[in-house]
Amino acid sequence: MQPLNEQQVIANLRQRDDASDRYYAAWWIGKMRSQHPEAVPLLLDTLSALNDDPVDEDDRGVALNAIRALGLLLNPAAHDPLMQLLGSKDYSVREEAARSLGAMKTKEAIPQLCQLLSGGPAAAGREQVGASTLKEPCEALLEALGNIGVNNPDVVAVITPFSAHPRPLVRAAACRALLQLMKEQRWANELEQLLQHPEPLVRRGVLLDLGASGWTAALPAIEDASVEASLKLVALRGLAEQSDDIKVLDVMDRLL
Amino acid sequence: MTASDLQKAVLALDRATMTSELVKATQTLCGLRNLEAAPTLIKVLGFNNPAVGAVATQGLIALGRDVVPTLLVSLDVGNYGARAWVIRAIATLRDPRGLDLLEHALKADIAPSVRRSATRGLAEMELEGPSFFRDFSRCCEALFKAAADDEWIVRYAAAFGLEQRFCQNSTDTGLRMQAIAHLEQLSSTSEAVKVVQQRAKLALQRLQAE
Repeated sequence: MQPLNEQQVIANLRQRDDASDRYYAAWWIGKMRSQHPEAVPLLLDTLSALNDDPVDEDDRGVALNAIRALGLLLNPAAHDPLMQLLGSKDYSVREEAARSLGAMKTKEAIPQLCQLLSGGPAAAGREQVGASTLKEPCEALLEALGNIGVNNPDVVAVITPFSAHPRPLVRAAACRALLQLMKEQRWANELEQLLQHPEPLVRRGVLLDLGASGWTAALPAIEDASVEASLKLVALRGLAEQSDDIKVLDVMDRLL
Repeated sequence: MTASDLQKAVLALDRATMTSELVKATQTLCGLRNLEAAPTLIKVLGFNNPAVGAVATQGLIALGRDVVPTLLVSLDVGNYGARAWVIRAIATLRDPRGLDLLEHALKADIAPSVRRSATRGLAEMELEGPSFFRDFSRCCEALFKAAADDEWIVRYAAAFGLEQRFCQNSTDTGLRMQAIAHLEQLSSTSEAVKVVQQRAKLALQRLQAE
């Protein structure tokens, strides 16, 4: 298969006949960080389908990819539309919108993110009968607050109870956010302890959290973790991009 | 007749089912430091069990370059996991007999981690003898291709690799100029991933400081 060029991808996103072409186009635009002037308007257009009742499954898939792409393109035009999606009835839409707002560091989203987490582990973090998800996408919401990076007592008070959530990955998301906001070693210690968890899936998640925290003191823990090298490299990318520390690059070189 | 240590170890491996038993049996097999254990260790790489695969790969690497011919003929092209481990072992051994394989893996393998390992191998392979210049140029051309890979980690490995290839060798100024040009591209804003830019800048600093 020939790789698509940008012009073709934009045309694929605009057309309405082939949902899989649109789905792939929305993903491609984010992955390639397309700077095409029509990219953001076309991505935003896909979101209106989320207001239909019922929502078309194909359109929903395209919109979810568009939300992720908007989080990669970091265009301010997406702030308001994404904040509106935090009020969606659709769990996955709230989850992806939170992630993208976190990536865009949208400060205006903080009150809504805190609102969704209100009530702590017993409410927002409650297990749902017959579903694998919690009431709210807590990991994405906590990570978003950490990424946006406004350290104030209200935000910290909302996040802290989740550091005792029964699910290890929710605990990790809370510790990561607190480490990003408060820059205190104790939260890194919590994460390094979670990195010893017997479940590989938990270790992988925690490793990425440590990388995203930008906490360079965690470098030896990341290097020694019992997780595959590919994932360590992803975690270290986060650390390197935030810290500008050559020591991180040296460790990455050893893991190639 | 008593079974040899090798036969005993292979038997223990055949009987193992749990990951912990497989790891232990693989460790025993590695501990023999016996070239005849290599085919069994290569078979273990295909079990699709990362913990066991890592142990077996270390064991194969510990056997040294004598194991390279066995690795080259026994590559299971259909098994992604096994392929990745074999490429990794050959890259780590830095044996020039792996040049064809690594070159092909970088060009054709769909798994980014395999292309990453192949790139590192092409960066660190110890070239020698009458084909030195031809092989050096093949490694460089492959690294130039890696610098244009779709995956950031392969481009990162290319930046690392170009630094390795040219930090001691300045015999071919044409290739060196191309390498610098590729690194400048990777360190510029046309590169979307910041850590790739960071690594390429570091490579340029180190190469130009000489």
